[in-house]
Amino acid sequence: MATTTLEPRTVAYRRSWVLDWLTTVDHKKIGVLYIVNSFMFFFAAGILALVIRSELAVPGLQFVDESTYNQAFTMHGTIMLFLFIIPALSGFANYIVPLMLGAPDMAFPRINALSFWLLPLGGGLIFSGYLFGGAAAEGWTGYAPLTSSQYSEGVGTDLWIIGLTLVGVASILGAVNFIATIFKMRAPGMTLFRMPIFVWTVLVTAVLILLATPVLAAGLIALFIDRNYGGSFFDPSVGGNPVLWQHIFWFFGHPEVYIVILPAMGVVSEILPVFSRKPLFGYKAFVFATIAIGLLSWSVWAHHMFTTGSVFLPFFSFMTALIAIPTGIKMFNWLATLWRGKLMLTTPMLFALGFISMFLIGGISGVMLASPPIDFHLQDTYFVVAHLHYVFFGGSVFGVFAATYYWFPKMTGRKLNEPLGKVHFWIHFIGFNLAFFPMHQLGLSGMPRRVADYSPDAGWTILNVASTIGAFMIAVSVIPLLINVVATFINGEPAGNDPWEGNTLEWATTSPPPPYNFDSLPPIHSERPLFFLTHGHGHAAARPEDLEEDPGDDVERRDGLV
Amino acid sequence: MLPPEPKTEVGRDVFNLYLVVLALALIVFVAVEGFILYAVVRYRRKPGDDVLPEQLHGNNTVEIIWTVIPTVIVFILFGASMITLAEVEARSDNPGVTIEVEGFQWQWNFRYPDEGATITGSAADPPVMAVPVGEPVRLVLSSIDVNHAFFVPQFLIKRDLINLGENGRNNELEFTITEAGTYAGQCAEFCGDFHADMTFVVDAMSRADYDAYMAAIVAGEPPPATGGEDCGTTIAVTAVESIQFDTDAIEAPAGEDFCIEFTNNDTSIHDIGIVDTEINGDDIGPGASITYVIPAMEAGDYTFFCTIHPTMTGDLTVTE
Repeated sequence: MATTTLEPRTVAYRRSWVLDWLTTVDHKKIGVLYIVNSFMFFFAAGILALVIRSELAVPGLQFVDESTYNQAFTMHGTIMLFLFIIPALSGFANYIVPLMLGAPDMAFPRINALSFWLLPLGGGLIFSGYLFGGAAAEGWTGYAPLTSSQYSEGVGTDLWIIGLTLVGVASILGAVNFIATIFKMRAPGMTLFRMPIFVWTVLVTAVLILLATPVLAAGLIALFIDRNYGGSFFDPSVGGNPVLWQHIFWFFGHPEVYIVILPAMGVVSEILPVFSRKPLFGYKAFVFATIAIGLLSWSVWAHHMFTTGSVFLPFFSFMTALIAIPTGIKMFNWLATLWRGKLMLTTPMLFALGFISMFLIGGISGVMLASPPIDFHLQDTYFVVAHLHYVFFGGSVFGVFAATYYWFPKMTGRKLNEPLGKVHFWIHFIGFNLAFFPMHQLGLSGMPRRVADYSPDAGWTILNVASTIGAFMIAVSVIPLLINVVATFINGEPAGNDPWEGNTLEWATTSPPPPYNFDSLPPIHSERPLFFLTHGHGHAAARPEDLEEDPGDDVERRDGLV
Repeated sequence: MLPPEPKTEVGRDVFNLYLVVLALALIVFVAVEGFILYAVVRYRRKPGDDVLPEQLHGNNTVEIIWTVIPTVIVFILFGASMITLAEVEARSDNPGVTIEVEGFQWQWNFRYPDEGATITGSAADPPVMAVPVGEPVRLVLSSIDVNHAFFVPQFLIKRDLINLGENGRNNELEFTITEAGTYAGQCAEFCGDFHADMTFVVDAMSRADYDAYMAAIVAGEPPPATGGEDCGTTIAVTAVESIQFDTDAIEAPAGEDFCIEFTNNDTSIHDIGIVDTEINGDDIGPGASITYVIPAMEAGDYTFFCTIHPTMTGDLTVTE
């Protein structure tokens, strides 16, 4: 009886790399797809920002008409939030969270791929309005009744609704996946209170997405029914209520602000300790502050609606101001992390420091707007535009760039060039402040947002010129980044496994990591297992009790846990 | 970093609240940014320094302290806001004038129910809301289409105009203007294509001037020029049929402001400008009238014309 021995195949099946990327379910490749896709939308929405700023530089209509202008700021806001900042941070989370947890992949790899591929589809649909008579032009907040078929006939608004709904579905799927991964895929020893802060912020963010995004989807579907099937959710002439849309939108929209900012706070909370060579000050306080922000975010939505006359002002004012407390705790903990550290001003560290100094301004102006009488003056003026850009751009986008420079070596095996990175940071930082700080004064002086033109007699021209120059500086600052990425791919400095002396598990594997992530894992006794490995036990634990369960001094031991 | 000088009583309250909040904001800003700069300078890692700093993990006492600090600030802010809010929301029993403000795409109707007058604006000719100084003015705000917002920066208040249907309760706004003058306002809630054209002017004047102004409006006559500008000399010019002025020569005094009361009885849009000067009045439509305040000019011979129809001209002689 003849027997045949089947040898395991030692060489992978050959596949084209295009097919490989299109069909991948590897969380790292999906993460990279997220990030690349997000940056392409960032450039598109950035061009729209330049259209807006060019038109506003001086009074009069020079470049575009009102309708084109309105489409530009609507698409700019929608794309920047839904297709750049959120997916970019989701991309980093996709890549990094399983690595930080010592997991081989996300819990649901195929759902992960689906939630990514819905994004270019949804974003493409939103943009495709330009091909069918004009994109949506009602502002990213899409207030009823301006979005009704009576006042916005074009199909662009329908495409905006459908596209956003798909993006929302993608977010919900992603959130489910993160929650399952974080609760069920942690390596042995990785207790909840040993998880890196970035993972904590992603967890709270995922819970917010899971609870908030379906509310937006419901609102969008109601709006679609109103527009196309004779519904009247928001039409007062047949018993609907246009203010209902604002409640629905902001019930989603304010948690959304924290969805955008919390993961960026997480990124910064990883970077500041590494480049201060100290642990994050007050790890547990930071975790509780993150959870507190997540909880409070459900009770503040109507602070966007103070001037509607339809909300109970003291409640929403008070709850909004309360958010300053956990946010203040975070700020103080970041400062205490710097205190008596040994700071290395690498590019990721510069962007992280930029984050805390710029987000501070957005936080302060947010507390000012929480006061209803002050909001009555500033609502819907450029002060609000300044505030939201200090939060989203000065905050989240600085966080995205910090993450880019920090994790690029892990993703590619090569470090981005430091001098070019610093050039990027400084042009970006100065341009950002030149573009957005003057908007505070413009708003205080009464310039409303979303106007295509303003009076030459209003005295707003000089500040608008400054703002436009700043916007172009931001655009220019992207050039060194692009050169840096290309040059690094061609001839970048090899990064090794752990170029920054990191604290967390992603630095324990190769750069880039193998498809299964880890050959073996170091022991996990604190939120800084890699620091543990490099510097021994004396310094490692966040809590003294972690040291007591210390298994021994063999720091070289690798447990082979996967 | 300040709002405009307030011209309403509630605006003063808001302004004072803003000063308190700004002071708190500046303290926090300087303290935190100052610390970041200090840390960056003071705690830089020296080249070759491989000794780890002390590994501080936290301290419950300082955590409690910096939980209390923002809590105190929040309560101060909230308390001060609620005191000012009560002032802003206060309503008088008997306002001096009530005006129904109705927003539409893309202009305003100002209805004076007591006087029986309605002023409708157009993009070319934004409406003027005449109000008495020193008396409570109440606005009842409604929209016939999308959302709008009534906003005059120098009043430091704003409120939305929302179409809530037949049974909806309209928003109200009440303020007392403290100083005569004209104040520019515009729609602050994005309302579609020509949102930026929804401008208007509030013209605050003495009670006597206000009564005369409204009497003229009700009678369908051009209202007397007001708003604090002093028209020493007023010249009437009318555009008549087939694109011409009713006069081909006017005179004005040198070295002082004067006014041109311009009435358009033609069938097309007209205005008045003065050749070789910056002076170019707003366009007005058929049947409308406007008062241009012309700043003091030097003596000499000038030509006035319609900037839309350059063949429509007349001589202006400015004499000492």
